[in-house]
Amino acid sequence: MASISLQGVTKIFGGKKAANQISFDVADREFLVLLGPSGCGKSTLLRMLAGLEQVSSGEIHVGARRVDNLPPSDRDMAFVFQSYALYPHMTVRRNISFPLIMREHRWWFHLPLVGGFAKRRIEKSPAVRELVARTARTLALTDMLDQYPRTLSGGQRQRVALGRAMVRQPDVFLMDEPLSNLDAKLRTSMRAEIIKLHREVGGTFVYVTHDQIEAMTMGTRIALMRDGVVQQFGTPREIYADPANTFVARFIGTPPMNLIEARLEPQRGLLVGQSLLPLPAHLAALGSQAGDVLLGVRPHTLQLGQAGLAGKVALVEHVGAESIVSVQLEQARTAHHDDGGSGSDVMVVVPGYSELRIGQAVHLALELSEAVLFDRGGQRLRTPALSLAA
Amino acid sequence: MSTLSWSHGLRVSLVLALLGVAAFPIYWMLVTSLTSSPDLFAAKPHLLPDLAQWPVYGHAFSTTAVAIWLKNSAIVAFGTAALSIALAIFPAYVLSRYRLPAVAVLGVALFVTQMLPEAMLVVPLYAIFGELGLLNSLGGLILANTAFTVPVITLILKGAVDGVPIDVEEAACIDGCSRLGIVLTVVLPLVAPSLAAAAVIAFFHGWNEYVFAQTLISDQGLQTASVGLAGFVGELSTPMHTVMAIGLMYTLPAVIFYLFVQRYVVSGMTAGSVKG
Repeated sequence: MASISLQGVTKIFGGKKAANQISFDVADREFLVLLGPSGCGKSTLLRMLAGLEQVSSGEIHVGARRVDNLPPSDRDMAFVFQSYALYPHMTVRRNISFPLIMREHRWWFHLPLVGGFAKRRIEKSPAVRELVARTARTLALTDMLDQYPRTLSGGQRQRVALGRAMVRQPDVFLMDEPLSNLDAKLRTSMRAEIIKLHREVGGTFVYVTHDQIEAMTMGTRIALMRDGVVQQFGTPREIYADPANTFVARFIGTPPMNLIEARLEPQRGLLVGQSLLPLPAHLAALGSQAGDVLLGVRPHTLQLGQAGLAGKVALVEHVGAESIVSVQLEQARTAHHDDGGSGSDVMVVVPGYSELRIGQAVHLALELSEAVLFDRGGQRLRTPALSLAA
Repeated sequence: MSTLSWSHGLRVSLVLALLGVAAFPIYWMLVTSLTSSPDLFAAKPHLLPDLAQWPVYGHAFSTTAVAIWLKNSAIVAFGTAALSIALAIFPAYVLSRYRLPAVAVLGVALFVTQMLPEAMLVVPLYAIFGELGLLNSLGGLILANTAFTVPVITLILKGAVDGVPIDVEEAACIDGCSRLGIVLTVVLPLVAPSLAAAAVIAFFHGWNEYVFAQTLISDQGLQTASVGLAGFVGELSTPMHTVMAIGLMYTLPAVIFYLFVQRYVVSGMTAGSVKG
């Protein structure tokens, strides 16, 4: 059993809270992704799980065991570093078998000659050989076992790092942006390999990344962090469809969600610019409220047509199967809080190769069936029914 | 001529010039040791050795204690190198990895010791060694030399440990290494080139040292080569052949040691560990 439970975990670096009162539970065999922009505290949190950083306050439990006061080696967790962190003076075989050798370690292994002999004996013992060979087969490293890390490519090195983690058969795998040093193509294939590894090995994975695609494709659940605080904790689908605030809404999804300034008019609907739109069924419960809000709509749900909000084309980006059109609205304003600026450009994804020209007049048909509303502070406005469900 | 071969030619001639400067004194020792007595002080010095004079080497061996001196020097030099490295690696690691006020003070203190000249410490050291019964022992001489090499070597090794990626150490920590294990199994092999450089420095310090060897050792059988050689310099006459022959014998082992170690003084050991 390797469920992980964090209770009020806080880390203070020189007066600044790198992680602030973080509490969540990860079930056994789950693949949790810690996601967020750089400096959000996700790596610090992972390092506290591993024991490479001490917690300032709070508790970490793995299964029934409290681990935050244990040294890293007693936590039964494997760690894969962004930089691979292989032992350059050891062969791939020794790199992979190193954790197993350390398990049998005695003080006299530090002696010259005798220690080397003892380590070789462990490396050659049938149990270790078999385990290393099996790991190497899984990761297609069999031919490279006697090479040194410096002769390997980036992808191969990362596989050795994974092998060193796997061979211990730990309860928990911790990975700190393991793919960010690889080129884009290799990253995609390694991503699939790690997902496969998770299915086959069956441990609990905690994976740090700043790449939302990795988070969405790999995670069974995502903890999206900013400034040391978990903004939202949920499945990729929940986080995409049901964001807790405008930061989450804008962080997940490419292009990011549009936030359009709007006004709730009691009993009448939603006023965007000068158009009054009826509230869709899932927002109907907000119908009696009044006030300024932000309307969140995904670029994929919008359509350009003859009717709707007037605007003109500001930019067209062709990405192959679809085109991303930026439309400058004439009467409505957008509020992309997190980006600092406030303009009036709304992004729309249209299928195929768009023939629109910059400056051309268009109309934006707002489709509200998947829309979400935020207050002007950026927090999600939930209908009472939805709040109950959540 | 192209620019490349120009710069190449310039480099080769500079290297040859440097080689000449470094090697000529050794060559001159050889020539002087193999020059017959009357020619030694001739107005026109001989540029080529007189091979008929070879027996001067055998003579030096049979009439002086040069073999014992060289043996003593070797014991002191190897002892100094081994003890210095064993003592320096741990403070070097601490200086590199721990950010504590006490560590900063230690770093400065090490630096300050470099400002004290040996000659100034001879008298107090003699008194202390007398109390401890370390006079007239090669072990005592090794200790005295080590005291002077450890600070330098610590600073050199600290620089090398700074270059070891911290991730590799953290990986070892997660794999179950103790601090001691990390230093011995991960850090030490990765700083091997600097260890070799440090060994060279300590070895030559021990091999060449004169002031302590002269004062702390009075027993003839424990004299080192530097002291033995200096003993030939007389008020009235100095047997130049013998001095030069022994001088050459004193130089060669050190050169051989350096040639043996220098192939470890290569960089690039950490290649392949982390990104790159």
